[in-house]
Amino acid sequence: MKRSLHVVAVTVAAATALGFSAGKSYSAGKAVEADPAAKVDYSGTLSVLTKFGLQQLSPYFVDLAKEYEKLHPGVKVELIQESDDSVKGKTKTLVASNSLTDVYFSWTGSWGGNFVRGNRAVDLSKVIGPDTEWGKSLVPAAVQAFQYNGKYYGIPLYLDAKFMGYNKQIFSKLGLSAPNSFEQLLSNCDTIRKAGIVPISLGNKEAWPVVHYVGQLLAYDVPRETLERDFNPKTAKFDDPGYVAALKQFKELADRCTNGATMNGESYASALQAFSNAKSAMYYQEIIEFDQSAAPDSALKQADFGFFVLPVPEGAKGDAKAVEGAPEGYMINTASKNIPLAIDFMKFVTSKEHGQVLSAPPYGQPSATVGGASEKSMSPAVVEGLQVLKSASYLMPWLDTANSPRVAAAWLSSLQALAGGSMTPEQVMDQVKEAAAADAKK
Amino acid sequence: MAVTGVNSGAVSYGAATGQGASGAPKPRLRNLLSFRWVAVAVILIGWFVYYPIVDNFVVSTTDQDIFTGEVTNVGLANYDRLLNDPIVWTSLWNNSLYAVISIVFQVFGAFLLAAIIEGLGSERLQRFWRAIYFVPSAISITVSGLLFYFIYQPEIGLLDAALRSVGLDALVKPWLGDPKTAIYAIIAMSQWQGFGYSTLLFAIAIQKIPRELYDAAIIDGAGPLRRLWSITFPLTREMTGLMIIITITGAFQVFNEVMVMTAGGPNNSSQVLGTWLYQQGFIENNFGYGAAIAAVIFVVTMVTGIAQLLYTRRRRVQF
Repeated sequence: MKRSLHVVAVTVAAATALGFSAGKSYSAGKAVEADPAAKVDYSGTLSVLTKFGLQQLSPYFVDLAKEYEKLHPGVKVELIQESDDSVKGKTKTLVASNSLTDVYFSWTGSWGGNFVRGNRAVDLSKVIGPDTEWGKSLVPAAVQAFQYNGKYYGIPLYLDAKFMGYNKQIFSKLGLSAPNSFEQLLSNCDTIRKAGIVPISLGNKEAWPVVHYVGQLLAYDVPRETLERDFNPKTAKFDDPGYVAALKQFKELADRCTNGATMNGESYASALQAFSNAKSAMYYQEIIEFDQSAAPDSALKQADFGFFVLPVPEGAKGDAKAVEGAPEGYMINTASKNIPLAIDFMKFVTSKEHGQVLSAPPYGQPSATVGGASEKSMSPAVVEGLQVLKSASYLMPWLDTANSPRVAAAWLSSLQALAGGSMTPEQVMDQVKEAAAADAKK
Repeated sequence: MAVTGVNSGAVSYGAATGQGASGAPKPRLRNLLSFRWVAVAVILIGWFVYYPIVDNFVVSTTDQDIFTGEVTNVGLANYDRLLNDPIVWTSLWNNSLYAVISIVFQVFGAFLLAAIIEGLGSERLQRFWRAIYFVPSAISITVSGLLFYFIYQPEIGLLDAALRSVGLDALVKPWLGDPKTAIYAIIAMSQWQGFGYSTLLFAIAIQKIPRELYDAAIIDGAGPLRRLWSITFPLTREMTGLMIIITITGAFQVFNEVMVMTAGGPNNSSQVLGTWLYQQGFIENNFGYGAAIAAVIFVVTMVTGIAQLLYTRRRRVQF
């Protein structure tokens, strides 16, 4: 009896498993094109995955959802709010389980390209293309950043870029000015350290903060065409000498300006806090963090907050006017049951009025909507940052979203080792090349 | 009337299904029919417990792209890659370290502590110490991870501050940021968190030992250590065996604390199989390879569990 029961149980399990495996698919879906003439049905639930999970950012979408529900009582907006660190894992879990939300956050570059490749993003060309009414209401370069194979798939929400924030008071006390060259930055660091202050607070527990430094240095050291060739897994070589040069520059900066190897034991949030508490003189940050660095209740006051683009090292062979950054935005799921409603909600989110709320403190996320980044309501530093961004010759995408996941993982882990002193720049590049070669074989 | 009804029902049942000379169904048929009563449970267990296990092995022989839905059969290539992946070996080493250190502290250390607490004369003191040691176990592992992240912080952390204050500056280091110490720092936190729970379980096992055995041993002149070695230890061996299984399987399934404290870094030095599986599946989009790592975890925990169960079954304690 016992034996026969076991046989039956195993047979049932095996049959179920084989049956399911045979019929299993992730149902990537078919290409879907948004129809500008489609009538919006204001009923049902709209699910939205945001990257506004941080406490200070989360009210933005919560307020918008409430406002939209009030305007359209038949609609319920369900929010899943994740942080910068958790949104990648969450998105992939939702994709793998075929439960991706109607509207979801996306970076530009290869990250967004995954959704396009898998037919999971609605082709929005006819509703958000440069010639459309909605497209014209958004910053053209931001719309362009979500272009894949000549079609437009993303709705840019805000512009982001990386700058070195500094404490003007500390600089002025030590007789320093914002550096004009990488070498001057290093010399400033020496002066600040002699005064007993940490020159740059850097927390690299999450591994991506160092990747951001290196990203900007690569834009300076490696020609743009080479970088873009290497972003593509099929053509990537990573053989330009500029790569090793950039890593050596970062290592020197880490040794002279930061607490060195201890950075791997600190989170980026602690480093930001140290800068905000005026315990460090500089912190490399995204423009969307400006209002967190110098908040009304922080030791670092808005008037003492300054910033500059990470200066160009001498003899760099890349683009000296490039700035690391990219717009960030949202895509619409091809499997959504109510695509016109999802588009309508995102039009509502990207309105000029809501853009101005997003650009102003406490959010400080420069809106990608034309007129949304209002100088009247924004922090002066954010306004200035946007001006620098507009004059940039090239927006260098984030290394960890521009490269394939495998290459990105190699950058992240090996740069952590470089920062900790257990790898040389050459060894880092060997690891990246190895990952790229493995990718090319796939 | 009621009796007749039952009898006629029984006859009808037998007639419909085939019966022996006595009127009752044949044993084999009866066994098959009785399966109906457990069928629902078997299907549910099959669906939710065994199907995912079998399916994981199926997935581990494929290469899947979750975005496009493409599934390619790659045979045993993922297992071949696994053997040549240095991070898998680092992870296995870290999991094994986790298991060994946890057995020392959470099994044998907890056993000793429980014996000491239960040996205290006052019931009130026993309750007090049990509660004191149990408190960390009541804190979620994620919260504990965050708490220890602050303790280990290089600049403002309690640990480095304590070392500096007693002049041990040479020992100050970024505990979670140094590849040589990261995994030990995580394991230490885990011991702090799980020690009290194990102690409580051992205390319960010790309380079940009949008091007369100790009284007889005292009359025979046995001291505390002799009583511990000859009475307490052998009579709690079932609990010890169980704790070893739980500790080893737990050590190979560890995930949360590593994720919260280092996410496997720096440079993958604190990866364990669970976090490497997550990294492969959810970060690098290699679900097939992730499933192969999951298969390794399954095999290790399954073999450990079976071996330990067989061992304890042979040495069952009955009072």
